Amino acid sequence: MIAFLVRRAALALVTGFSVLTLVFLIVRVLPGDPAQVVLGEFAGETALQALRHRLGLDQPLWAQYAQFIAGALTGDWGVSLVTGRPVIAEIMAVLPWTIELTVVSLALGALVGIPFGVLAAVHRNRALDYVTRIASLLGLSFPAFVSAVILLLALAIQLPWFPVISAQTGSVSAWFQSITLPAVSLGLIMAAYITRVTRSAMLEVLSEDYVRTARAKGMPWPIVVRRHALRNALIPIITVIGLFLGIQIGNSVLTEIVFNRPGLGKLIVGALNQRDYAMLQGMMVIYTLLVVFVNVLTDIAYGLVDPRVKLQ
Amino acid sequence: MSTAPAIATRGRWGALVRLFNANKTSWVGLILFAAIVLVALLAPLLTRHDPIAQDITRQLAGPSREHIFGTDEYGRDTWSRLIYGARISLAIGIASTLIAMLVGSAIGLIAGWRGGRLDAIVMQIMDALLAFPALILGLIVVAMLGPSTTNIILAIALTSIPPFARIARAPTIALKEREFVEACRALGLSEPRILLVHILPNIMAEILVMGSLWLANAIRTEASLAFIGLGIKPPTPTWGGMIRSGFENILDSAWLAVVPSVAILLVIFALNLLGDGLRDAVDPRLKNEA
Repeated sequence: MIAFLVRRAALALVTGFSVLTLVFLIVRVLPGDPAQVVLGEFAGETALQALRHRLGLDQPLWAQYAQFIAGALTGDWGVSLVTGRPVIAEIMAVLPWTIELTVVSLALGALVGIPFGVLAAVHRNRALDYVTRIASLLGLSFPAFVSAVILLLALAIQLPWFPVISAQTGSVSAWFQSITLPAVSLGLIMAAYITRVTRSAMLEVLSEDYVRTARAKGMPWPIVVRRHALRNALIPIITVIGLFLGIQIGNSVLTEIVFNRPGLGKLIVGALNQRDYAMLQGMMVIYTLLVVFVNVLTDIAYGLVDPRVKLQ
Repeated sequence: MSTAPAIATRGRWGALVRLFNANKTSWVGLILFAAIVLVALLAPLLTRHDPIAQDITRQLAGPSREHIFGTDEYGRDTWSRLIYGARISLAIGIASTLIAMLVGSAIGLIAGWRGGRLDAIVMQIMDALLAFPALILGLIVVAMLGPSTTNIILAIALTSIPPFARIARAPTIALKEREFVEACRALGLSEPRILLVHILPNIMAEILVMGSLWLANAIRTEASLAFIGLGIKPPTPTWGGMIRSGFENILDSAWLAVVPSVAILLVIFALNLLGDGLRDAVDPRLKNEA
């Protein structure tokens, strides 16, 4: 297991490095002068020069790149142009909110999606399967802000069961109240996705010889499904959950705006509106780190679920 | 991963109809999507109201015979804005998907054909692009470039290139070992000709199916950007922008946010029905890549 993890961590480093490089290049290759964007059209040349110097934009590209990577690795992400506080402190202050939202919605998605996916596969081409397939395709079609707006409208405004602004802390019930709607609106999409993947992974596994053998030797069907089929279907399920988690970290921007919830999403939109260039760079690093972290977690999950993975 | 060569050999249209018949839901998706496109195209005939004409005597009016979906905070007709907004959503979605399709397929074809180091480097770049949350990347690019139609199209196209590169690359690798490709080489055909005339038609079905699914995604991204405030500037109606301003009046005029929400949901659902059914028919093994 240790050797497997070390190998995977090395791979994650490569991924993280290439993502950082790519994002740096995309942002730098874009036409336009960040200093001009920050200061506006009517800024004087001296002010522009000063800001370019402060942001390191007057240095050659390779030096900027070296500085960007060094900063990313050491945690020195500069100082916010708006608040003057260190970028890393601003990000760390809201990061738990986003992680909480994504984790709870993932848990919801898996709790709903895996059972429905298994049921649909087991009842293939029967009513339950059709309903599940259409419903999950519909769920997958929701933009994250549409599901959020509709839930907010139905359950916080029409039926006042939940608070409209969901950032309460203190007691467990307040936490539950404030996390439910955002997590459901994001978890709905995740559940739809996991249902579909579980269904197709299960269909593949259920047609395997060892499933037929298990049935033939008289093993009860529910145990065959759980122990022989689902266990083997978990690998593709984990793969796509890992991939989709990256998308959901991005989608949480929309959920956070609708529910006026603190988090990376609100921070990045604020940074974009206020042209906080230093903050944006830090945000790119944190999103990259999150994606790499999710990759590593996915790999660990593989190892836990399937002992064969470790030997490869 | 192999392709479905049978599709290319027996008459294009007949093959297409067979593909659709394999899964009836694709027909439902196609008809629904075609209806939405038709409404967008015929928008001037379907309303008497100018989508950007303000009427301060009719602010936030509820649904009526004159305004079936009511009016917004400037007294503008919601139905008109909805069907003119459909033009923007569809145009941006289709343009960015076509660009991603062209660029992505070209990258995949060339990387798969050449193989070796070029393939490794290009696919590493594609994986890195795919790993970063697409919405965040789109957000940064549009914010940096400014929210013009062209920039929004380019940003969405950029985030949709990797899946097309992947879908084009795998079958290219399989096909380049086949006899008919070897025959082409023996005949001395140029590389571009082999790729475009002999390989591309064989992988077209997969690329088009991916196209319908990523069109849904592009429309969703455009709406998301507009909802965040990085859409085409007002007063031009966009669905995401309508939901954004409707959301500000959600307490007393909920329909302003609900109507465009349902419209977006409908068009994405239609495309997903279409693409999902076709994908099963083209290659059942692709099912896992939702």
